[in-house]
This record gives sequence, C-alpha cells and structure tokens, in this order.
Amino acid sequence: MATQVFKVPDSIRKDMRYGFCPGCDHGVAVRLVAECLDELNLKEKAITATSIGCSVCLYDYLEVDAVEAPHGRALAQATGIKRARPDKFVFTYQGDGDFASIGWGESSHAALRGENVTAICINNTTYGMTGGQLGPTTLLGQVTTTSPTGRNLEYYGYPIKITEHIAMYDGTAFAARVSLDTVPNINNAKKTIKKAFEYQMEGLGFSFVEILSTCPTNWRMTPQEAHERVRTQMMEIYKPGVYKDIKTLK
Amino acid sequence: MTETMTKPEEKVLIKGNYAIANAAILAGCECYFGYPITPQSEIGEFMSGKMQELNRAYVSAESELAAINMVMGACSTGAKAMTSSSSCAIALMQEALSYAASQEIPLVLISVMRGGPGLGNIYPSQGDYNQATIGGGNGDYKLTVLAPGNVQECVDLTYKAFYLAHKYRNPTILLADGLLGQMMEPVTFKDYPYPEIDNSGWALTGAKGRERRLLRSYAPLADVQCDFVRSLFDKYKKIEENEVMYEEYLTDDADLIVVSFGSLSRNVKSAVNVCREKGLKIGAFRPITLSPFPSKELSRLSNSAKKFLVTEINMGQMVKDVRLAVNGKVPVEFLGKPVGSMIDVEDIVTEIERQLEV
Ligand SMILES: Cc1ncc(C[n+]2csc(CCOP(=O)(O)OP(=O)(O)O)c2C)c(N)n1
Ligand code: SF4
Repeated sequence: MATQVFKVPDSIRKDMRYGFCPGCDHGVAVRLVAECLDELNLKEKAITATSIGCSVCLYDYLEVDAVEAPHGRALAQATGIKRARPDKFVFTYQGDGDFASIGWGESSHAALRGENVTAICINNTTYGMTGGQLGPTTLLGQVTTTSPTGRNLEYYGYPIKITEHIAMYDGTAFAARVSLDTVPNINNAKKTIKKAFEYQMEGLGFSFVEILSTCPTNWRMTPQEAHERVRTQMMEIYKPGVYKDIKTLK
Repeated sequence: MTETMTKPEEKVLIKGNYAIANAAILAGCECYFGYPITPQSEIGEFMSGKMQELNRAYVSAESELAAINMVMGACSTGAKAMTSSSSCAIALMQEALSYAASQEIPLVLISVMRGGPGLGNIYPSQGDYNQATIGGGNGDYKLTVLAPGNVQECVDLTYKAFYLAHKYRNPTILLADGLLGQMMEPVTFKDYPYPEIDNSGWALTGAKGRERRLLRSYAPLADVQCDFVRSLFDKYKKIEENEVMYEEYLTDDADLIVVSFGSLSRNVKSAVNVCREKGLKIGAFRPITLSPFPSKELSRLSNSAKKFLVTEINMGQMVKDVRLAVNGKVPVEFLGKPVGSMIDVEDIVTEIERQLEV
C-alpha cells in the first residue's frame, strides 16, 4: 500500500503559485510556517496581520484569516486582534525592514508588553521588494542600491542585531535566530517556529523567531552563492541560537 | 463621581470628555487603545479604569501610530473599538485611516481639536475640519465625520459613531473641540439606541468551516482596484443619501444665514436671537455630519437666502464646502479666527450687520 510521504500543507492555499523569485528563502519559510500551523491544528483559529514587503504575499499563500497592516504596524494590529480575541492564535510574518526599521517602535513595544503573539522576522539584509536598498540589517561593507560602495559607519551607522534586542525585554518568552542554508538548519528552523507557536498557545508571552534568509535577486547571486553568503557572512554577525527561553531561565 | 459612572439614572453634570468615554462604554466599546494628549486625556484616563473593571481590552499604546493600528486590528475581528486623540497626534494616524477606509474597517476615532499648526496650543480651535473631512491619507476615500455642538450631543453622537461605523463599515470620526471636551453640562445617558450590526459575514475569526478572509487594500491589477474604489464610492453615496444630519434655526424667512459647526454654533444661535430682537431676518444652519456634508440642504436654502456668513474658529475651512454647495448663487462670506476661544456673540452680530449693509 502506498503511503503519502510529502504533501502540500493544508494551511497553504491550493489555487496559488508562489510569486517569490526563484531560490528565495521566503518560499521555504512560508512552508515551514504552514507546516507548523497544520501540525498544531492552528489554521482555523489563526489570524495574521501582514507586513509590507515581499512578505506581504503571505496572505496569498496561507489559508488563514488576514488583515493587511501598513508598513511596520503588524505588531500593533496583532496586539489589537489578540486583545479583542484572546482565544485566537495571532502571528505576524515580517521583513526585517518592516519589523526593525519602520516598525521598530511597534515591534519592541509589543515584546516589552509581553503581548501573547508570535512574530517571525525574515532577515535578508535588504529591502527586497523595493529593489534591494540598504536596511537596518545590511551588513557593514555590503553593497546595496543605496550603499553603492558598501555600508560604512560614517554614513550609515551599525546594523541591528534584532534577536539580541528582543531577548532583552522582560515581556519576551522566547527569542531565537535560525537559518535556512542547510537541511538540518531548515529542520531546526521548523522546530523553533513550532516552539514559538507553542509558547503563545501556553500563554507565556511574546515569542519571536528571526530567520536568516536569502534575497538572491537583489544580492545578484545564484541561490547556492546566496546560501554560502548566509553561512560565511551573515551567520558570523547574526549568530543562530536561542537567545531567550523563559522555560529554561532561572 | 463622574469617573465611576456607567449609566446614571438621573441627569448628571459632566465634562465632555468623560461624557464621550462613558457613552463609548454604553455603546459596547470592547477595546480602547490610546496615547495621551491634551485636551482629551480624560478619555483615556477614564477608559483605563473602566475597561479593566469591565474586563474589556485597554492598552496604553506607545504612540498614536500604534494606537490607531491596534484599533484596526481589534475592529478587523468585528469588535467595537476606538481611540481618542487630538490634532497633531491625529496627523500621525492618517496613513492608517486611509488603509482602514480601504479595508472597510469600522473603527471609531474621537478627535478633540486643539490649536495648530504644529504643536500649536491647547486652546479651543476648529482647525482640524480639513484634517477630519478631507484627511491626509492617500488615495480616494471618505470618512464619516460627526460634529457635536454640546455635551449631550457628545453622548448621542458617540453612540451614533459606533452605529454608523459598523453599519457602513467605514471609519467614523467624532470631531469635538477643546471647549466641548473640557466643558461641563447636564447630560442624560440613555441606553444605546441602535441595533447591533451583524459582522459575521466579514470579520476575521479564523478560517473555520469557510474560506479564509482577507482585509486588504493592495490590488496589483489596475482594473480590480478601479472596481473596488468605485464600490467604495457607491457606499459613500448611500451614506450621503441616508445619514446627513444638520440643524436649522429660523431659516425659513432668513435674508442671511449664518453657518457654523460644533461648539461655536451656540454663540451663533445667540447672535441670531439678538438680531431677531432687532428685527433682522437672520437664521442659522449647523451641519452635524461634516462628512457627508449637507450640501443639498444648503443649496436649497440658497434659493431663499440672499447671503451666507460662515463662521469658524479657523481661517476658513468649512467655508469652502459651503461655497461648493451654494455654487455661486449668492455670496458666501467668512468670519473666523485661528485659535483661542469662541467668537463672541457681539462680534458675530456686528459682522452680520456689516454684511447686511455691504
Ligand atoms: C510607509 C511606507 N514606506 C515605504 C513603503 C515602500 N516599501 C514597500 S516594501 C518596502 C521594504 C520592505 O523590506 P523588508 O521589510 O525588509 O521586506 P522584504 O521585501 O525584504 O521581504 C518598502 C520600503 C511602503 N509601502 N510604505
Ligand atoms: S526580491 Fe528578494 S526577498 Fe523578494 S522575493 Fe525576490 S529574492 Fe525574495
């Protein structure tokens, strides 16, 4: 008898094709989110407030209720949703520009308040949707369309280490950084997202996962080169790991 | 006393801001999100205690940007939710208001005007007529705007704001001013007089037993966006047909009609009375819905009146809408000042008399 070993998650819309660029990690990340929603039986009680950026496409792919927040305001809207309907499962899926630049106020205050929601932040060191400009996470030396000779301190200042910041706040129950550059790391990313979701289900407070992600189009790289860059450059500065876990904290 | 009230049996003497907050509670407001700014901070203060006592949602938001987006999030689930703020802080909410209009999110925003532009000051002003009725958000959209003229109306129109917002799924602003917010008057709180609107056809509740729902404003295809904006304007037309409110005072035989809104209309009425005693045929007209604007009614009055005098505590904002309504049939003059206090009854009478002479 045949057993099914691979299928499209129920939380993925059946009539849609990914519009992400070929080789972009957004596709992998969305799938992991969908698998976690499936496995935790959350699809029917989930509501998401979307981010503006390539991540906005999330609502085209997920079979989940969604409201489209203005650029950066996802966690304010998620706060409103959760406060109005505490029995729902509320999450955001945001770009690093959305989360940590224009929305940094909303993001950090949601964490500070300990809002019982989950935020997933895709760190691809650039503003992907608008064509690869310098963003808050752009690495020192990185060439973008608005840092033509590379990010230097004089003009641009330092990049932000998002997870380290979020982990500092008392309201944060769980904060971790993962990457999608290898199969084991993808598996670990899924486990981590699931854990963040479970923390919300247990009512423990703000849970957060930063996903180191590729933007091959704007990096002008092949997907392989892009993953190599994640490994050799991004993971050097943005070290993967669990930065806060309220359950193991003494 | 006022801080703890919900539904007093008797008439009570109460400040406008508390009256609005208490009316919101009685209207069934489930969530309040806000950031302090004078002259409306009493609303947030009242709500902080009352909402917790009633086990409803309250958040001291980190900014007005956050507050209005929290309201949007809550309303997207069908909940009755609101924020309150003033002038320079409402400037921060314009992006969200455009999104909310487009996504048809039924939020309620209480705007208690102070002086401007910029930080301005905390004296009474009506300088945010344009901000409320035209708005600073992008694209083609209209909000519903209600302007109370006394504290009792602050209560009645707060009820109505929740009702209209949900009935039409359109963001609705209650536009008061610092004077109304800070003034005490006797008020009766009746029960919320409107039917509850069924939100079950669109609210985000989780995709259980149905397809997922999406409240979006982004339409990548031009013709889809065209059809969508047209449908919004069909809705605005319906609101205009059904919901325009205004007050007329002695307009039937009036040679000159004074048009004003909000708290200033009280002085206008007194000025009309003074003029009538002098034998002058003066009337008054007060739009209560500023958007939709009672253009048809003003147009009708321009067939009988020989002149309009618009007076506002600003440099001339509503006067443009009156001129559009009257469409050149008779002159529309203006008396105003930017900020500070009422325009005195004597000054209005003097201007009326001057306008009758020229
Ligand atoms: C208020 C506002 N400012 C700017 C934009 C334009 N904009 C759209 S997406 C985007 C950048 C998104 O970058 P990021 O959050 O890093 O997500 P990515 O596209 O890389 O996934 C910008 C600047 C906007 N839509 N709204
Ligand atoms: S622009 Fe970059 S982040 Fe956006 S879909 Fe393409 S590769 Fe992915």
